[in-house]
Amino acid sequence: MTDPNNILEVNQLSLAYDTSYGSLVALDDVSFEIKKGECLGLAGESGSGKSTVARAILGLLGPEATIKKGSLMYAGADLRELSPEEQRSIRGNKISIVFQDPFTALNPSLTIGAQVAEPLIFHKGMSKSEALEKAVDLLASVGINRPREIIKAYPHQLSGGMQQRVLIATALSCDPDILILDEPTTALDVTIEAQILDLLDELCRTRQLGVLFVSHNLAVINRLCERVCILYAGRVLEYGKSSEVFSQPRHPYTKGLIASLASLGSEATNNRLTPIPGGLPDMTALPANCVFQPRCPFKESKCASEIQHLATMDDGRTVRCWKAQKEANLRWTDLPSDHGDVPQKQKASFQPSEKGFIEASNLTKTFSSEGILSELVAKLSKLHVFRDLQRSPHVKAVDGISLAIAPGEVIGLVGESGCGKSTLARCMVRLIETTSGEIFAEGKEISREPERKLKHFRQSAQIIFQNPDSSLNPRKTVGQIIKRPMVLFGLSHNAELDRRVSELLEMVRLPPAYAERYPHQLSGGEKQRVGIARALATSPKFIVCDEAISALDVSVQAAIINLLQDLKEKLNLSYLFISHDLSVVAHLSNRIAVMYRGIICEEGVVEEVLRPPFHPYTEALLSAVPRFDDKTAETTRIRLKGDVLAMAETSRGCRFHPRCPRKIGKICEEITPPVVESASGHRIACHLLTDEK
Amino acid sequence: MLVYILKRIVYIFCILAVMSVLIFAITQALPGNVARMILGEFATVDQIQAIEEKLRLNDPLPLQYWRWVSALLTGDLGDSLVMERPVAPLISLSLQRSAILAFMSLFCVASIGITLGVIAAVKHNRAPDYGISFFSYLGISVPEFFWGILIILFFARYLGWIPATGYVPLSEGFGTWLSHLIAPVATLTLTLLANISRMTRSSMLEELGTNYVTAARAKGLPERVVLFRHALRNALLPTITVLAVGVGWLFGGIVVVETVFAYPGMGRMLLFAIEHRDLPLIQAGILIITAIYSLSNLSADLLYAYLNPRIRYGRTIA
Repeated sequence: MTDPNNILEVNQLSLAYDTSYGSLVALDDVSFEIKKGECLGLAGESGSGKSTVARAILGLLGPEATIKKGSLMYAGADLRELSPEEQRSIRGNKISIVFQDPFTALNPSLTIGAQVAEPLIFHKGMSKSEALEKAVDLLASVGINRPREIIKAYPHQLSGGMQQRVLIATALSCDPDILILDEPTTALDVTIEAQILDLLDELCRTRQLGVLFVSHNLAVINRLCERVCILYAGRVLEYGKSSEVFSQPRHPYTKGLIASLASLGSEATNNRLTPIPGGLPDMTALPANCVFQPRCPFKESKCASEIQHLATMDDGRTVRCWKAQKEANLRWTDLPSDHGDVPQKQKASFQPSEKGFIEASNLTKTFSSEGILSELVAKLSKLHVFRDLQRSPHVKAVDGISLAIAPGEVIGLVGESGCGKSTLARCMVRLIETTSGEIFAEGKEISREPERKLKHFRQSAQIIFQNPDSSLNPRKTVGQIIKRPMVLFGLSHNAELDRRVSELLEMVRLPPAYAERYPHQLSGGEKQRVGIARALATSPKFIVCDEAISALDVSVQAAIINLLQDLKEKLNLSYLFISHDLSVVAHLSNRIAVMYRGIICEEGVVEEVLRPPFHPYTEALLSAVPRFDDKTAETTRIRLKGDVLAMAETSRGCRFHPRCPRKIGKICEEITPPVVESASGHRIACHLLTDEK
Repeated sequence: MLVYILKRIVYIFCILAVMSVLIFAITQALPGNVARMILGEFATVDQIQAIEEKLRLNDPLPLQYWRWVSALLTGDLGDSLVMERPVAPLISLSLQRSAILAFMSLFCVASIGITLGVIAAVKHNRAPDYGISFFSYLGISVPEFFWGILIILFFARYLGWIPATGYVPLSEGFGTWLSHLIAPVATLTLTLLANISRMTRSSMLEELGTNYVTAARAKGLPERVVLFRHALRNALLPTITVLAVGVGWLFGGIVVVETVFAYPGMGRMLLFAIEHRDLPLIQAGILIITAIYSLSNLSADLLYAYLNPRIRYGRTIA
C-alpha cells in the first residue's frame, strides 16, 4: 500500500455533518493517493463532497463536521492526529489551496503584496521587507507583469485572471509539497481559464508538486490530470487513469456524465444530448448500497440489495459497480433515452424568413457614471487646470449593434465577460433603456414606446435568468410564480389558471404537484425548469436565455438543453441564447454572434462561424475551450494575452487589435474594419478579409 | 474623491437651508405670545405693543426670516430674548460642556461596543454571545432616565462613590471634574451600546464567513491575525456608519441625561429656551445641532471611504 512516491494518502475517509435533519454522511470510504509531481483530478457534481475532501486535508472543517473513520497520511503522519497548532503550521506552508472565486478569496482592504507575503512572514519567519521582495519574485513567476506595482495594488484593481494568479503565487509562496486547486478556473472566462490552465500545467511540470485538482469540469480535468477520481454523493465511483476513464468509462455514472456533455466536434452537434435522468440525491436520505441506482438505466435488483465495493478492473482502475467488469462495453447511448414526445431529428438547416421577429438596428447603450455634478466635473476636466479630476464618465457597453432574430431561430451570443452580452439582451427586451438606435418587434418600432404601450411586447418577449435561486421569489409557491404573468396579462382566469399551471409544469417535465412547493424545496435544475415555465406562461415568441444553464450541474444541464430544444420546436420559439460555454452554444444555436467590447465582430450560421473559425477572436475563443473529444486541438492553441477589462479603451481602429494574434499592421490600429457580409449572411468585421482578396 | 467631498458639502448647505426654514416656521407656530412671555402675565397691552415694536415682531414673516438668516450668514446668532444677551457665547459655553459629554460617551460606546461585538461573534451561539446580547438589549430597551436614576441611587446615594448631579469646571481639579462626568457618560453609553455591539457582531459574523477569511485560515495564519487583520478591519466599515447615526441619538439622549443629572449643557439650555419661548436661542440651538449631525455623517463617510480601498482607489490597473 505505502508507496514511497505517495506524498498524500487518503485512506477510507468517512465524514459526517451534523445538521438539523440529523447526521449527513458527506464522505463514505473515500480513498486515493497523490504521487510526487502528479496531478490528480477529483471530479464530481455539487454535493458530491469534493470540496469537503479538500477541507478535510487542510484541517479546515467546521465544528459541525466529524471524521468517522479513515486516515489522511502526509509525510508519515496522520494529519488528523496532529494538534491544531501543528495543522496550522502545515497549512499554507506544506499543503496549500487555491479557491474557486478569486475575487472573494482576496481580502479587499489589504494590498496584494501584504496578502502574498503573509505565509512567508508566519511560516518562514521572514521580515516584512524580505517577504515583500520574495512576493515580487513569486508574482513574476506566475506571469504577472510589473510585479513591483502590483504588490502595492488592492484586489479590486486587478482583473479576475490576475487575481487568480495572485492566489496561485500565494499558495506557492512557501514551496508546498501539495497544492489543492478547488475549481480554480470555474469563475473565469474561457480565454482566461486557458491562460491559467497553461500556467498550472507548467507549474506542475517544473515543480515537483503533488496537485489535487477539484473540478466539475471533466474536460479541464482531462487536460491537466493523469489520474481522475469520480465522486458521487460522497462515494468514489470510479478511479483510474484519465485517458482510460474518459475514453472508456466503466461506471454508469461516468458514462452518463460524458454522454451529457455538449461537444464542439462537428459530428456530435446534430445529436440530442443524452442526460442522466433524475437529479442529485438527497444527502439526508441516500439510496441503499449503490447511491446511483435510482438514476441508473442499467440497474437490477442486486444494486440495491448488495453492498457495492470498489473493485479493481483488469486495466488497474477501480470501479464501484458490480456490473462494471461484466458489461464494460455497454454504452449509455444504446439505451432508450428520454426523448419524450419529440421525435429525434436533425437540427434543421434553418431558412430565415424575410422579416426578423425581433430586430435591433444600430443599438447603442452608454452607461454614464452618475449625476449632473459629475458631468460638470467631466466637462471641467477637459480644461488643463482641472486635469487631475479626470476620469472616464462613459462606458459604451453596446456600440452600434444590429442583430435580427427570426421566428423559430436560436442565436447564440458569445464573448468574454464584460463584452456587453447581457446589456445587449436586456436592451432588446427593453429591460433597460437604450441610448440610441431602434428595436423592431414584429416590424414595429418599440424602442421609444412608453411602458403602457408595451403590453403586447412584454407578453411576447420573456427572459430566463442565470441564477434561479435569486430570480424566483422565495415567499411564493411555484404555482403562484407561474400564475403571476398570466394574471398580469389577463391571459386566463380561475380554474383555467390552475389547468395552465399543470400544463406548463408538464411542459418542463415537472410533476403537477410541484405547484404547491416553494422554491427552496426544489433542486437547482428543478428551479430552472420553473424559471422556464414562468417564461413560457405568457406564450411568448422570443425568450432571452441569459446564461440560463451555466449554474447547473453537468448531468442536469443536458436535460435542460434538450428541454429548451424541444420547446423551441414545439412552440416555434426564438431564443437569444447567451452563454460563455461555446460547446453548448454551438449545440443549440442556428446562428452565432461573437461579441467583443460592445460590437459584434462575427456573426453567421454555426457551421460557417466555427468550422473553421475566421475572425481571430472567434478562433481564439474556440481554441481556449478545453476539448474533450479532440486532442489535436491542443497542439494548435492560440492564447490571448491580457483581459478585456484591463485593456485601455481603443479609440481608433479595430477594438481587438491590442490582443490580436493575427494583426496585420498599421491598418488594424487606425481603421475600423468594415463589416463584410457574404451571400449566406455571414458577417465579419476584420481587415484580414479584405487583405486576402 | 474631491468631487465627492464638494458634493457632500453642497448637500449639507442645502440641508441647513431647508432646516432653517423649518426651524423658523416651527418656532413661529409655537403657542403663546413672545412679548407676553418676556413681560410676564400682568403686562398691559401698551407694553406688549412696545416690545413687539422694538423686536419688530409684527413684520411679515418672510421679512423676519430674511432678517434672521442674513444675520446668521454674517455670524450673528441674535440676542436671547429672555436673558437679553447675545446667543453665541451662551451656546458656545453649553456646547463645549455637551461636547465633552458626547465625545466621552462616543469613545466608550465605540471601544466597549466593538469589543463586545467581536467577543460575541467569535463565541457565536455560545454563553458569552447570549450574555452580551441579553445585556445590550436590556440597555437599549430601558429609557435613559431610568438608567440615570438607577446610577444615582446606587453609585451616588448607596455607595457614595460619585456625586449625584451637577457640573464642575476643570479648573477645580481633574478628579472632581471627571467624577461629575462618570454618571451621565455611563448612562448615555448604556443606551447606545446595544446598537454598536449588535452591528459589530453581525458584520463580524458576516466577515468570518467570507471566502477571504477562509483563505486566510488556509494560509495557516494564527487565529488572532485572521480575526483582527482580515475580519475586524472589514467588519468595522458598517460600524462606522452606525456610530455616526449614534451621534444623532446621542443628542436626543443628552437632553434627557442633562436634565436628570442637572448638567448645564446644550440639552438643558434648549429645554430652557423652549420653556421660555426664547426664539433666537431655540433657532440657533437647533441649527447648530443639525450642522453637527450633518458633519458627523460626513466625517463618517469620509472615514469609511478612507478605510475602504475600493472607494479610495479607482479600478483596474492590470
